[in-house]
Amino acid sequence: MASVIPVIFILVIVLGLMTCGFLFVPKGPNQTTIRTAIMLTFASCYLMWMVTYMAQLHPLITPYRSTKAGESL
Amino acid sequence: MGDDYPTLFRSEQMSLMQFLIPTEVAHDTVAELGELGNVQFKDLNPAVNPFQRSFVGEIRRTEEMTRRVRFFESQIQKEKDVVPIRPLYDSAPLLTVGPSAAHNIDELDVTLAEHEKRLVQMNDSYKTLSERTRELVEARHVLRETAVFFEKAETQHTDIRTSFDDSSAPLLQHDDREQQYSSTVQFDLEFIAGTIDRTRISTFERVLWRVLRGNLYMNHTDITEPFVDPATGTETRKNVFIIFAHGDALLAKIRKVAESMGATLYPIDANADKRSDSLREVTARLEDLETVLYNTGLNRRSKLLKIGENLARWQDVVRKEKAIYETMNLFNFDVRRKTLVAEGWVPTRDLTMIQLALRHATEASGTSVVPILHELRTSKTPPTFTRTNKFTEGFQTIMDAYGIATYQEVNPGLFAIVTFPFLFAVMFGDIGHGLIIFFAALYMIYQEKKWAKQELDEILGQFFYGRYIILLMGIFSVYTGLMYNDIFSKSLHIWHSGWDFPEPGSNGVSYAVSNGHMYPFGVDPAWHGADNGLVFTNSYKMKMSIVLGVIHMTFALCLQLPNHIKFKRPLDIYANFIPQMIFLQSIFGYLVVCILYKWSIDWSTRDTEPPSLLNMLIAMLLSPGKVDANAQLYPGQSFIQVVLLLLAMVCVPWMLCMKPYFQWKEIQMIQGQGYVGLNHHNGGHRESTDEVLESEEEGNGRVIVEEMEEEHEQHDFSEVVIHQIIHTIEFCLGCISHTASYLRLWALSLAHAQLSEVLWSMTIEKFLGMSGIFGTITLAIVVVFWFSATVFILCIMEGLSAFLHALRLHWVEANSKHYQGEGYLFTPLSFAKLDEKE
Repeated sequence: MASVIPVIFILVIVLGLMTCGFLFVPKGPNQTTIRTAIMLTFASCYLMWMVTYMAQLHPLITPYRSTKAGESL
Repeated sequence: MGDDYPTLFRSEQMSLMQFLIPTEVAHDTVAELGELGNVQFKDLNPAVNPFQRSFVGEIRRTEEMTRRVRFFESQIQKEKDVVPIRPLYDSAPLLTVGPSAAHNIDELDVTLAEHEKRLVQMNDSYKTLSERTRELVEARHVLRETAVFFEKAETQHTDIRTSFDDSSAPLLQHDDREQQYSSTVQFDLEFIAGTIDRTRISTFERVLWRVLRGNLYMNHTDITEPFVDPATGTETRKNVFIIFAHGDALLAKIRKVAESMGATLYPIDANADKRSDSLREVTARLEDLETVLYNTGLNRRSKLLKIGENLARWQDVVRKEKAIYETMNLFNFDVRRKTLVAEGWVPTRDLTMIQLALRHATEASGTSVVPILHELRTSKTPPTFTRTNKFTEGFQTIMDAYGIATYQEVNPGLFAIVTFPFLFAVMFGDIGHGLIIFFAALYMIYQEKKWAKQELDEILGQFFYGRYIILLMGIFSVYTGLMYNDIFSKSLHIWHSGWDFPEPGSNGVSYAVSNGHMYPFGVDPAWHGADNGLVFTNSYKMKMSIVLGVIHMTFALCLQLPNHIKFKRPLDIYANFIPQMIFLQSIFGYLVVCILYKWSIDWSTRDTEPPSLLNMLIAMLLSPGKVDANAQLYPGQSFIQVVLLLLAMVCVPWMLCMKPYFQWKEIQMIQGQGYVGLNHHNGGHRESTDEVLESEEEGNGRVIVEEMEEEHEQHDFSEVVIHQIIHTIEFCLGCISHTASYLRLWALSLAHAQLSEVLWSMTIEKFLGMSGIFGTITLAIVVVFWFSATVFILCIMEGLSAFLHALRLHWVEANSKHYQGEGYLFTPLSFAKLDEKE
C-alpha cells in the first residue's frame, strides 16, 4: 500500500544533494550563482514531486470512463 | 566586501574616487577609462549652462563630424545597389590617444569636410544634368510627334490639293514661309507645340476652346514612357500637343494659357528639313548628356565605395570623441593645482584595474605625470552595480525592470534564475512544448556569436536577449510535463499505473480499481481520458498552487533578514519580520500543513468524512473555536485553530505599534540630549577647520560638490506612523490576496492542457482513421497544420502569457515581501555601451 515513507526518504536524499551542491561547487566568480541555482532547483523539483505524490497517495475519488458506442477501451 | 569574488547576492560595493588629472593627459585618460567602462563620473558643474562649459568648441567640432558621417551614411543607404560598409571589427583602428591623436583628429575633420563637399557637388551636378536630359527628351518627343502631325496634314493636304509637292515643302503653299516666322495673310496657320501633364490636357483643351472661341485646331498624343523625377522618384506622364491658330493676338493668348497651365513650349519649325536638323541636334546633345551623366554616376559610386570602407571607423571615432569631451565637461578645473578634478563612482573591487589604466594612459601619451586617485568619504548613496555575465544578464534585467535594487540590498535576480523558469513551467507543463522551446533556445545560443554582431529586428532581438531564460524555461517545462504526465495532450505510461479498468458495467461506465501500485513519478496516466479526470487534476493543481505560493512568499519574506542584518536595523527584525512571519504562517502556513496532512491520511480507515479545507479555513476565521466533530481533520483542532487565530490577531497591533513606539522613544532621547532635529542643516556650508584644511594639504580629498538631491528620512513622527499603518494594512491584506493570486498557476496550466487537448482532438484525431494515399496526404497536411498551431498558439502565445504571469508573481507577490528597489543604476562611461545605445 502506498505510504508516506518514500516522501520522507526522498526528502532526506534531496537535502543531502543540496548540501553536496553547497559544499562542492568550486570557488570562482560564479560560485554563489551556481550554488543557489542547484539548491533551488533541487528544492523546487522535490516540492513539486512531493505534492504530486501525496495527492495520489489516498485519493478520494476513483477515475471512471464511459465508453461511447463503437469505441473500445 | 572586497573579498575574493563578486556575487549576485548583493550589488557591488562602490567607492567615490577623486581623480586629479593633468590637463595634457586628460583626453587620453578619459579615453582609457571609457574603454574600461568602470567609472561613472559625477557632474561637478551642475550650475553651468551647457554652452558655457570648457570643451564646447571640441564638442561642436565633433558634432559637425557626426553630421557629416550621418550624411554619408544616408547617401550610401539611398543607393540602389548596395554599397558595402566594412564592419568595425575588420577596419584598422584610428589612433585617438597618444601624441599623434590631435593630428589624426584634425586630419579626419579635413577629410570629412572634403568628402562632403565633393559629394554634394556631384549630387548637384547630377541633378542639373538630369533636368537637362529630361528637357531634351521632351523636346525630342515633341519633334517626333509634330513630325507625325505634319505628315498627316501633308497627306490630307495632297488629297485636297492634288499637288506633287515635295515632302519637304512647307505645310502651306507659301513661298516666303521659310523666312517669316509670323504669318501675314489669310491662310497662314501658326502653331505652338509643347508638352503638358496628361492630367491637365483636357482642361487645357477646354480652356483654349473657350478663350479662342473655337478658332484653333489642336492635336495631342501621349508620350508612352513616363518621366521619372530623380530627386523624388515620382513618375509623371506627359502629352505632346500642337495647336494651330492664326493671328498674333490668338497666339499670344495661347502662349499665356499654356504657361499658366504649366505646359512647356518648344520652338518647332514648320520646315521639315529644319525639323530633322533640330531632331538630329537634340539627339546628339542627348547622347552627350547621357555619357556625362553616366560618368558622374560612376564617379559618385566609386567615391561612396571609398567612403564605405572607412565609414564604420569614422563613426566609431567620432562617437568616442564626443563621449570623451562630454565627460570632460563634467570635470572641474582646479586653478590652484592646475589640473582637472573629476569625481566618479567606481566598484571597489576594480580599483587596481583603474590605477593600471591610468598608468597606461600616461605611458601612451608620453608624459610622465600620472593622474592621482583618492577615495572620498561621503554619505550619498552609491549607484547599484550588479556584475552579470551573458547568462545572468537576462534574469537580472527582468527583475530590474520592476525597480533597481537599493544599494547592497539582497538581489532578487539571483533567485529568479531558478524560481522564474520554475513558476513558468508550472503554468506551461508539457513535455512536447517544453522540448520545442528548449530547442529553439538552444539554436539561438548556438548562433550567439553571429547574431550578437547583427542588427536584429525588435521582436527577434527580444527573444535573443532572453535566450538563456527560454532555455531554462524549456528544461523546467519538460520536468513539469513529466509531473503532469502530458506530452502534446497525451500521457506517458512509463511505470505501472495504479488503477485498472475492468469491463464496463451495464451503463457503459467502467470504474477503475486500485491495484496497490503507486505511480512513482507524476500523475497516474489512468486519469488521462477519465471522465472525472479534471475533477482530480483541478483539486491537485489548486492545492499545489497554494503550497508553492505560500512557500515562495515565505522564502521572499525571509530575504528581509539579510537586509536587516547588513544595514544594522535590529528593530526591523522584531517589529516587522517576526510579526509578518507569524501572521503568514499562522493562517496560510497552517493551511498548507492541513493540505499535506489531509493528503497523507487514508480516509477509508477513518470514521469521519474528509472535511473541505476551504470551509475549514473560512470557519476558522468566522466562527473560531467551533469545529464539528464529524468534520474535523484531527483531534484538538478547535483549540489549535483558536490559538493560531489569536496569534495572527496579536501580530496586527504588534506590526502597527512597535516600530513607531521605539522610533518615538529614540526621538525623545535625542531631543532630550539637546540637539535640534537631525538633518535640518545639511546645507551648503562646510566647516573649514584647521584640521580639515591640513588634511587636505596632505592629499586627502574632499568632496567638491554636495548636492542635496537626497531627502533624508524625516524623523517626523506622524510620517512614521502613517508609513507603518500603510505597511501593515498592505501586508495583511496582501497575504490573503497574494495567496489567492497564486491560483493562477492552476488556471494557466488548466488552460494550456485544455487547449492542447482540443487542438489534438479537432485536428489529427479526426483524420487518423483515413487510409490509402488520399488519407496519408490529408493526414500529412493536417499534421503540418497541427504543428504550426502548436508552435504559434501553444508555445508562443501561451508561452508569452505564462511568462507574463510568472513575472507578475515575482514582481508583486514576492518582491513586496522584501524588496525596496529605490536604487539607481550604475551607468559608467563605457564605449562598448555606446554601441548598444545606438
